[in-house]
Amino acid sequence: MPAKKKFLTAIVVLTALWIAVAFVSVFSGIYDAGIIETVTGGDPLASTIFYKIRIPRVLMATIAGGTLAICGAALQALFRNPLASPFTLGISGGASLGAIIAMRTGLAAGFLGFSVVTIFAFVFSLLTMLFVYSVSRVGGIVATGRLLLAGVVMNFLYSAFILFVQFFSNFTESLQTLRWIMGSLDIVGYGEVWRTLLFALPGCLLLLSITKEMNLFGLGDDVASSLGVDVRKMEKEIYFATSLSAGAVISVTGPIGFVGLIIPHILRMILGVDNRIILPCSFLLGASFLTLADTVSRTLISPVEIPVGIITASIGGLFFLWLLIRTKKEVIV
Amino acid sequence: METIIECREVGFSYGPRRILGEITLSFGKGSMHGILGANGAGKSTLLKLLTGALRPEAGEVLYRGKPLRSFGQRAAARKIAYIPQDPVFAFPFTVTEVVLMGRAPYIGRFEFERESDLEMARRAMETVGISHLDKRLISEISSGERQLASIARALVQEPEVMILDEPATFLDIRHRSEIMNILKRLRDERGILIIAATHDIFGALYYFDEIIMIREGRVFAEGNVAEVVTGENLSALYGTGVAVRKEDGKVFVYQGD
Repeated sequence: MPAKKKFLTAIVVLTALWIAVAFVSVFSGIYDAGIIETVTGGDPLASTIFYKIRIPRVLMATIAGGTLAICGAALQALFRNPLASPFTLGISGGASLGAIIAMRTGLAAGFLGFSVVTIFAFVFSLLTMLFVYSVSRVGGIVATGRLLLAGVVMNFLYSAFILFVQFFSNFTESLQTLRWIMGSLDIVGYGEVWRTLLFALPGCLLLLSITKEMNLFGLGDDVASSLGVDVRKMEKEIYFATSLSAGAVISVTGPIGFVGLIIPHILRMILGVDNRIILPCSFLLGASFLTLADTVSRTLISPVEIPVGIITASIGGLFFLWLLIRTKKEVIV
Repeated sequence: METIIECREVGFSYGPRRILGEITLSFGKGSMHGILGANGAGKSTLLKLLTGALRPEAGEVLYRGKPLRSFGQRAAARKIAYIPQDPVFAFPFTVTEVVLMGRAPYIGRFEFERESDLEMARRAMETVGISHLDKRLISEISSGERQLASIARALVQEPEVMILDEPATFLDIRHRSEIMNILKRLRDERGILIIAATHDIFGALYYFDEIIMIREGRVFAEGNVAEVVTGENLSALYGTGVAVRKEDGKVFVYQGD
């Protein structure tokens, strides 16, 4: 199938999937009135829950899931390695530490509110990425072992720092942070949705505009450059855009793991490896996946709500395990 | 002969290390130039200066009389194609997809390839004889076939110049001659200027029109094959005894005096 037709077909199918998942999600929950009463306001409580909680939550899941998946796909192109993702590279850990420092030092409440947390998350993500990239690149090629090890090490370090901050927090703060680290989409109203979108959208659009360059980059620096790609510029754009958009998401939802790893992987198994198809589709499938995971987290043992990070990490862990077993006879990358 | 690329007093260093100096060369349309030299002599650096991937520190590389750096990267990509020794394929694209990437300098930001681009890719695969591999993954085929795919990719760039860094070093003798014959055909039929670094002295004698010998970053000898590829020059170039003997119109190269 020509790339364009494949692209359009995939977009239509995945958009339909997202609509279906979003529809199920907004009508799932403990308080259940008829669809018509809920939407028209015939049942005021149901209506309030619907418009103030469930719709913002689905939007947040869509933005967060889509952004993390796109960032995963872009990082995989940059590192020329399908195991790169915000989570495995320690970028999520960096963003978390940045966000926690901003929250605990009172900068968040002090001025500008949310955006300081985001800026801290962004800066820490960026520094982590630059560090992991320089450490894992040997002679121009990213060594998978070094890459994953660098990511694991960064995650350990950030965990230690976060625990350090936790140790000096009081009980309430400490519990808040702990809940946040588990990864949750528990928001009320649209404020956080718009504030996340403000940073995530430009980042995602930038990444979507350089998908062709990402393909060419897969042929090596020299060939990409001989085909018209400004390689250094493309690298910088990916650093910047992924740190910005993943940082924005993580500073609100906490580190939600594995979305950026699994989603592009599944898509590549079905659609091939063309980034012009994989990146936009990653957004849609990531959005559906996280919305669905969030719905499960709210309804699995309702009325208790499990943080969605626990759901995605469980699914992600099992998926990774399956990948390891399946590819036992081949090389993992 | 119409001059396509020219180097004027070109010099280049990596940091304090001088790689190339005072390189003055000219390359004409429809000819095949082989660059010989020991490992580390500066062959690859010279090729990268010719593709525009590196900027000369001193002197100037000219393309049809205009400085190469005055061309945008995309414009240069429509004129000069580059094929590395050991190409990277980080993701398992299909062979057709890899070949189509050669159309990148002609395709806009949010565009996909048109049917005409696909047709061009099909013809290029036919030219190098890999039509049967079109749906295979680049990761599944042999290194010789991958090199042919790279040449097909370079062809759809519709270049005037093809620059190759040891295109056949890792290949067996059959694939090596196959690739060299394809390059020769491209020179004859399309007038493409071909510049290739090589370690293959036999190949150099059989396939190239002109030979440039690079020693310690300088042009040590250049000219047509028969004049330049002599035992004396080769021995000096590689720092070990190499002899060339001609017999019945055949050329023998062997180690020793």
